[in-house]
Amino acid sequence: MSRRLKNRNIKKDKHQPGMDFWLSLLEFFCPIDLYEEIEGDILQKHNSDLVKHSPQKSKRRFIWNTIRFLRPGIILRNTFTNQQNPFIMLDHYTKIAFRFLIRNKSFSAMNVLGLAFGITGAMLLFLWIEREYSYDQFHTDKERVYIAWNREVSKGQINCWPTTPRILAPTLKAEYAGIEAASSYANYSDTYLFTAGDKRILVNNVFFADPDFLSMFSFPLLKGNRSSALMEPNEILLTESFAKKLFGDKEAFGEILTIGLYGETFPFTISGILKDLPPNTDFTFEYLIPWQFLESAGEKDESWGNNSVATLVKIEDGIDINSLNLKIKDIRKNHTNNTSDAEIFLYEQSRMHLYSRFENGISSGGRIDIVRMLTILGVVLIIIACINFINLSTARAQKRSKEVAVRKVTGAYRTSLVIQFLFESIMLASAAGIISLGIVYLLLPSFNTLVEQRLSLDFSNTYFWLILVGGIFAVGILAGSYPALYVSSFRPVQILKGERMISGRRNILRSLLVIFQFGFAVMMIISVIVIHKQINFVQARDNGYAKENLIYHFITGDIEKNYIAYKDEMIRSGIATSVTKTSSPITDRLSNTGGIKWRGKDPEDKTNIERFFIDEDIVGTMGISILQGRDMDLARFPSDSSAVLLNETAVALMGFKDPVGEIIHDGWDWHVIGVIKDFILTSPHQKVEPMVLQGSRGWFDVIHIRLNPARDTRQNIAGLQNIFTKYNPEYPFEYYFVDEEYKQKFVDLEKTLTITTVFSSIAIFVACLGLLGLSTYMIESRVKEIGIRKVLGGSVISITKLLSARSLRPILIAILIFSPVAWLSMNWWLQSFAYRIAMDLWIFVVGGVAILLIALITIGVQTISAANANPVSSLRKE
Amino acid sequence: MCAKVYHDIFNNAGIVDNPKIISFIYLTKYKHMGKDYLGEFEELILTLVAALQEDAYGAAISDEIETRLKRDVNLSAVHVTLYRLEDKGFIKSKMGGGTNERGGRRKRIYTITNAGIALLRTMKETRLELWKMVPALAK
Repeated sequence: MSRRLKNRNIKKDKHQPGMDFWLSLLEFFCPIDLYEEIEGDILQKHNSDLVKHSPQKSKRRFIWNTIRFLRPGIILRNTFTNQQNPFIMLDHYTKIAFRFLIRNKSFSAMNVLGLAFGITGAMLLFLWIEREYSYDQFHTDKERVYIAWNREVSKGQINCWPTTPRILAPTLKAEYAGIEAASSYANYSDTYLFTAGDKRILVNNVFFADPDFLSMFSFPLLKGNRSSALMEPNEILLTESFAKKLFGDKEAFGEILTIGLYGETFPFTISGILKDLPPNTDFTFEYLIPWQFLESAGEKDESWGNNSVATLVKIEDGIDINSLNLKIKDIRKNHTNNTSDAEIFLYEQSRMHLYSRFENGISSGGRIDIVRMLTILGVVLIIIACINFINLSTARAQKRSKEVAVRKVTGAYRTSLVIQFLFESIMLASAAGIISLGIVYLLLPSFNTLVEQRLSLDFSNTYFWLILVGGIFAVGILAGSYPALYVSSFRPVQILKGERMISGRRNILRSLLVIFQFGFAVMMIISVIVIHKQINFVQARDNGYAKENLIYHFITGDIEKNYIAYKDEMIRSGIATSVTKTSSPITDRLSNTGGIKWRGKDPEDKTNIERFFIDEDIVGTMGISILQGRDMDLARFPSDSSAVLLNETAVALMGFKDPVGEIIHDGWDWHVIGVIKDFILTSPHQKVEPMVLQGSRGWFDVIHIRLNPARDTRQNIAGLQNIFTKYNPEYPFEYYFVDEEYKQKFVDLEKTLTITTVFSSIAIFVACLGLLGLSTYMIESRVKEIGIRKVLGGSVISITKLLSARSLRPILIAILIFSPVAWLSMNWWLQSFAYRIAMDLWIFVVGGVAILLIALITIGVQTISAANANPVSSLRKE
Repeated sequence: MCAKVYHDIFNNAGIVDNPKIISFIYLTKYKHMGKDYLGEFEELILTLVAALQEDAYGAAISDEIETRLKRDVNLSAVHVTLYRLEDKGFIKSKMGGGTNERGGRRKRIYTITNAGIALLRTMKETRLELWKMVPALAK
């Protein structure tokens, strides 16, 4: 700059007016290094022109000469070549990288494999996470669709739950401004028989919706009219695949099917065909029946106390949800003369998948917790893989030191060296990315069965590729930046003089990274042990009834009518020893209520009590034991139809000293005739809920049958089928084994176990790869020392010990540091189970020993062969 | 020998002032030097640099072309060609003194390198070889 200023002061007297402008233009675009000579040449030319031509012409020629310098050869000189340099070098870098990778095959393989496994794990997780975030986000008006929740204060706690009365949706729409559409939606467990021609399908879940439902959600309607479908009580909507199941390839739209329930049949016109639901929705219906059907059949539910449906609401554009919530808060109070103080509020339907947990009235996460945990797991997997890369590259940096030195001596910038090594790591990351893309493609089907999802790699999606390429670059830079900075910092003088670089600090850093890797591995392995133990523990829990040889089926068609004869024949033929009608399968909840009253009840107490209806003989059929009083027996005591059995927990809750003879009130009075031992109705992981087993004034959906254990089960079932068909010829015989159904309660936890096992295996495998690489390198660099030790009389065992101790020390430290962390996190996890194992010390011992063993095996072969090697071969060379 | 060649290459016009840019990036950039080929204008400029010796700089070369060849040439074209020749390693440059008629601005004086001389010589010889093939009639 100073030179420029100086230039401006040199003789201006010779210039004609107006020349300064052109010279400053030249100065503006001309590179500083060329400016002086060019300006000089132009001025010289002008001066010689003045001799030959008129001043005007000379000036024109001067201006033209100046303007002609405005050309790329001048303007872009230096600037352009500078920027272009790194790209010119890329093909050189590629060549050098390939040579280095091929020369160190095992090192490269370990690096690429480690990265590939890490990326594979993370990619699977991120695919799943992406799917979780997309749930019910595809509805065009999703920000206007809400679901109604209940909010109630009980014992100083605010309880919230998302099921509401059927009457809520029509009331909201009729009485409040700003509500564009409202629909009740329910998925009841009931048994309907669909018949179309000779095709019969028995379903156990039935779905109801209002006509407004279709206008709230973007489920594509293939045939039919979105605004008029479901308007009539005898219309039905089917999904494409359900229609196909019923009608085959025949056109289903406009056809008629019949639905059989409770011994009656109803015809329905198919008024629309829905496209099959996408995988990323929480709705599960295969068909939709209008509420009007139930209501026209006389089952109009106008109770404000029966919270059994989801109420979906679409508000008008521009309506403030907070003020609407204030208005509708007391809707229930207004309609029930203040008998119930539960409030209603609206919550975004699009948040239901991930944020559906309320604690004390405040939204506090939900499924998002798992999503976040798995995000962390995915990131940690990538970090572990990157650590491998960092450790192996810095350990092997010695091999590149001469190259770096020569490059620096011939004038390489540090930046260009950093770019070179970053380029190399990005190349490796890309190779790993391509490999993991292949692995993911192959593994996706099995991963899908594991997580019960239909995930896919969307190759046609630009975002997928952008994220993939971006991710690979990020991994390459994350893994490569430290080694690149480290390797490029070498001092050429030291290296070329042959000094060995001793850097204790690098070793410490490397050990720290190994500690992190194995610490995580320890945590994963301890989680696997804890989850496994918890599952075994819960599976061994006494469920309170005899689940073997016990089956149930739903009451369909004529069974209700013929029940006595049906039961009688089953017992007479020796197939069943005992039969009981119940309201729900013994593995499922029917309903619960906080409204049961008894003598001495605290009016503030709204603890939920499970309802379960039985006709008689629960002891004989289920194998539940009676602790006090007696079992239901309608033959001897007809008044047992309004009798009730309590379970131990209910007795404790109600505080009865002598429960038999007490009266409880649930709709009407029930007299207590006995107390049964607790049995598990819902979750074996939780405490047994208080429960009332009410007599035959209730309603029944299920028949439990205790099969005769003296006979072959298959024979029993065949005989049962004959009897069933005899009394109920219209319906297929579909039955369930209670022990199989009970096992379903563990499926979720077992999935968690499998997923944890898979990902901890990946983490451990990748960590071991890194350990293997490090120990190989360590042995390589100490080969002379080992030779000298052997020559001086060191035994194979002592050398093996020496070498392994060095590699295992960081792992031991990792176990010591990370076991408490594992204890904390697993303890937190176990808190969600009321029935749980204690965190014994031995879990950590087993976990630690397992990791140590795995590490020992990993490094064992190499260490032993190094210790066994003939010292001559290592010492001869010098 | 090698060091000499690189010295020549790195003394580029405009680059001399910025020694940081010298890096062995240029090893790759100029490894194809053998394949170089000169255009007619480049050859003309190169010959003039050789001929004018200590007085070879942009304005002088352009004047020389105008007076001797009666050919109108733009100053910027001369400069760009000089830079290109320097990039290719056939000439080198250093800053010379300034004169009054150029407002005291210094000149960039070009001298031909060994590589440049060698190239000129080869070109001349090839021309002669080819000229010999032309039948006597045409002479």
